[in-house]
Amino acid sequence: MLRPILAGALIALSIAAPLPGVASAGERLNFSWPVNVGSLNPHLYSPNQMFAQNMVYEPLVHYRPDGTIEPWLAESWEASRDGRIYTFKLREDVTFSNGEVFDAAVAKANFDAVLANRQRHAWLELANQIVSAEVVAPFRLRLTLKDSYYPLLQELALPRPFRFVAPSQFKNGGTKEGIAAPIGTGPWELAETKLGEEDVFVRNDTYWGKKPVYHEIDVKVIPDPNTRAIAFETGEIDLIYGTDGPISPDTFDRFRQTGNYTAALSGPLETKSLALNTNRGPTCDLAVRQAINHAVDKDAMIATVLYGTQLRADTLFAPNVPYADLGLKPYDFDPAEAKRLLEEDGWHTASDGDIRTKDGQPLSIELCFVGTDAVSKSMAEIIQADLRAVGIDVRLLGEEESSVFARQHDGRFGMIFNRTWGAPYDPHAFVSSMRVPSHADYQAQLGLADKAEIDAEIGKVLVSTDETERQELYRDILTRLHEEAVYLPLTYVTAIAVAKPEVGEVPFGAMSSEIPFDRLQLQAR
Amino acid sequence: MASFILKRILLLVPMLLGASLVIFLMLRLGPSNPAMDYLRLSRVPPTPQALEHTREMLGLDRPLAVQYFDWLGKAGRLDFGTSYALQRPVLPDLLHFLPATLQLAGAALALTFALSVPLGMLAARCRERWPDQAVRFLAFLGVSMPNFWLGFLLVLLFSVHLGWLPAMGRGGLAHIVMPAVAIAFMSLAINARLLRASMLEVAGQQHVRYARLRGLSERHVERSHVLRNAWLPIITAMGMHVGEMLGGTLIIESIFGWPGVGRYAISAIMNRDYPVIQCFTLVMVAVFLLCNLAVDILYALVDPRIRLSAEGQQ
Repeated sequence: MLRPILAGALIALSIAAPLPGVASAGERLNFSWPVNVGSLNPHLYSPNQMFAQNMVYEPLVHYRPDGTIEPWLAESWEASRDGRIYTFKLREDVTFSNGEVFDAAVAKANFDAVLANRQRHAWLELANQIVSAEVVAPFRLRLTLKDSYYPLLQELALPRPFRFVAPSQFKNGGTKEGIAAPIGTGPWELAETKLGEEDVFVRNDTYWGKKPVYHEIDVKVIPDPNTRAIAFETGEIDLIYGTDGPISPDTFDRFRQTGNYTAALSGPLETKSLALNTNRGPTCDLAVRQAINHAVDKDAMIATVLYGTQLRADTLFAPNVPYADLGLKPYDFDPAEAKRLLEEDGWHTASDGDIRTKDGQPLSIELCFVGTDAVSKSMAEIIQADLRAVGIDVRLLGEEESSVFARQHDGRFGMIFNRTWGAPYDPHAFVSSMRVPSHADYQAQLGLADKAEIDAEIGKVLVSTDETERQELYRDILTRLHEEAVYLPLTYVTAIAVAKPEVGEVPFGAMSSEIPFDRLQLQAR
Repeated sequence: MASFILKRILLLVPMLLGASLVIFLMLRLGPSNPAMDYLRLSRVPPTPQALEHTREMLGLDRPLAVQYFDWLGKAGRLDFGTSYALQRPVLPDLLHFLPATLQLAGAALALTFALSVPLGMLAARCRERWPDQAVRFLAFLGVSMPNFWLGFLLVLLFSVHLGWLPAMGRGGLAHIVMPAVAIAFMSLAINARLLRASMLEVAGQQHVRYARLRGLSERHVERSHVLRNAWLPIITAMGMHVGEMLGGTLIIESIFGWPGVGRYAISAIMNRDYPVIQCFTLVMVAVFLLCNLAVDILYALVDPRIRLSAEGQQ
């Protein structure tokens, strides 16, 4: 009696839940993201997700992985001799997904819409620099700047705010109060949004460039990394991609070890480091900062905590960052050298294993991190153990994110986790922020004797129109920071990608916010 | 009875008002800064200007009292403001997600009731024999195992290894089985033990002995004299389980990709999305109060002594 009932129940369950299969080849790619993509206003921020803005809207110029700029909606451009006026020749074959033509008038309307909300974008120097956008000819656009600003092209390549929505979708003549619908010129259109469930993108068949292979990208809302991993294993999604821990490092390693999936890491995208406060506590001493740089075994940290998902960082910026391939001498892992530096500087210990002291003061430094970030916590514990081995006591302060930000603002830290902004902000925007008191970098550098000089050089490099001079200025700024050991570079953050075999090789975007769905190539099964 | 219910419903108003004030103040007493969270979500560096502009945009630059009374006035008109993180009106979104949560919590409650009653009866009937021990072991597991861990174990077995059930999402019956079991497990384990204890206590009372002496069948005694009198603690417990289950959905919805209020609330808590947290908490307070009221009414219906004493007091 029981057996038929059980069998019936199982059949009923299997009918009620058709098991998810792999996305049908050439049709649909199932992906996941922690939240819905938002209304996709190209000129606003949260809840609009940058990867999705990047799918629908395009920039005038495109940022390449090698740090160079390539033409995109603008075929070419020229700059005036003083670097204040840029004239862009726009492509003449571009239309929005609703058929509207993209021309200089449309581009100007979009620039005007962004600048009408300048206060929101004030964090981005280009938004402060642009004085006007003018139509020179139907397909020629002129941007006039307050001062010369060489990173103009890099910042135009950002996923927001300098991208273009069809002006027919403006609300009240602009975009700051929202848009009617996300109509862009990009390879994808947002077809449907189910709140809390999924967003569906379809291929823009009128796209001017190379059309994507996939017809549809189904982005399921999965906030939890473990659930995402399970969804991948059970076939609910075909691709995992991202830089902000889309799955845990050990799960990535497990997928990589199976050999059944494509599992790949991008090149360096950002740098995770500790900012060492030169203006507070024992880290005021150069020898202490240098000793810290010699005492931490980054390779062991990457192998054990990060399962090899990130790369060892020897300098503040990875060598693939523009102007940053300087051949600076790394601080090798050398605990003996760390001890020697500390001894020479007067930090002594009675016996090995004790905490060092100098003039009666213990060598004790607090390390601040976001308490809920399990990876940072583990890294902090390894740093604590490594520094303890050379006689430095590290007090771990795991706090909520707002509190950690607040410490970065006002310099209440000995050591604090810090991350560069990634392409295309690095190095210019990150270096520029070093002059702003609300940044950990500014606070950390305050104790340097040449801080004013560094800041002056940063101001100079941003307006320099001479490429050679720029390279020299960057060399000097980054060399000073390296030699002063203001940072303990830990890892170069990479994007991870795990895909079903039929998805094939996964290319990586140049920016962490870019997921190159349009460049995916299906593999024959 | 009607005036009792009316009085209790009217009492909801001051209780909700008090709760709203407590929630409002508690949120703002902490060190968190929603403007900073908004900038983090926007991936905008938190410069002083950006922070100031964001505080203004979110209305956090006004005095606390102004913020509270403004919010309260609007809440009275069922306008609970706009989510900081999603930039969408809170109440419509909450109501969009609520049915999914009620469905899940309802399924878990039904499962708790459907399994705990027979298990409790079985344990009481077979006191100190193996079925009783088995129920005791189940209860031990139920109270010891966190629901999210059970959720992952279920997914591992039934989705990853066996491939029988979908791992996530909301759909047919198959989608709800695992999240409902994960949420219900603790409650059903507790309930089964509670019913057992309650039944054994009642079974030892004189009226039950007398019923047996009258020659009534064991089944009749159990159904009409033991079980009926053992209901009261179960009803109380079920009232509490509703709260537990709604709380359980918070985590379980994230694990099973269930598009409900719990997941919405968790993300609001992570992002210090005050309007969402305030609305969610207030709705939950209302649900709890209504559940308590329902329990009191059920009490009166089940036990004539309570009904008669309430009527006598009036």
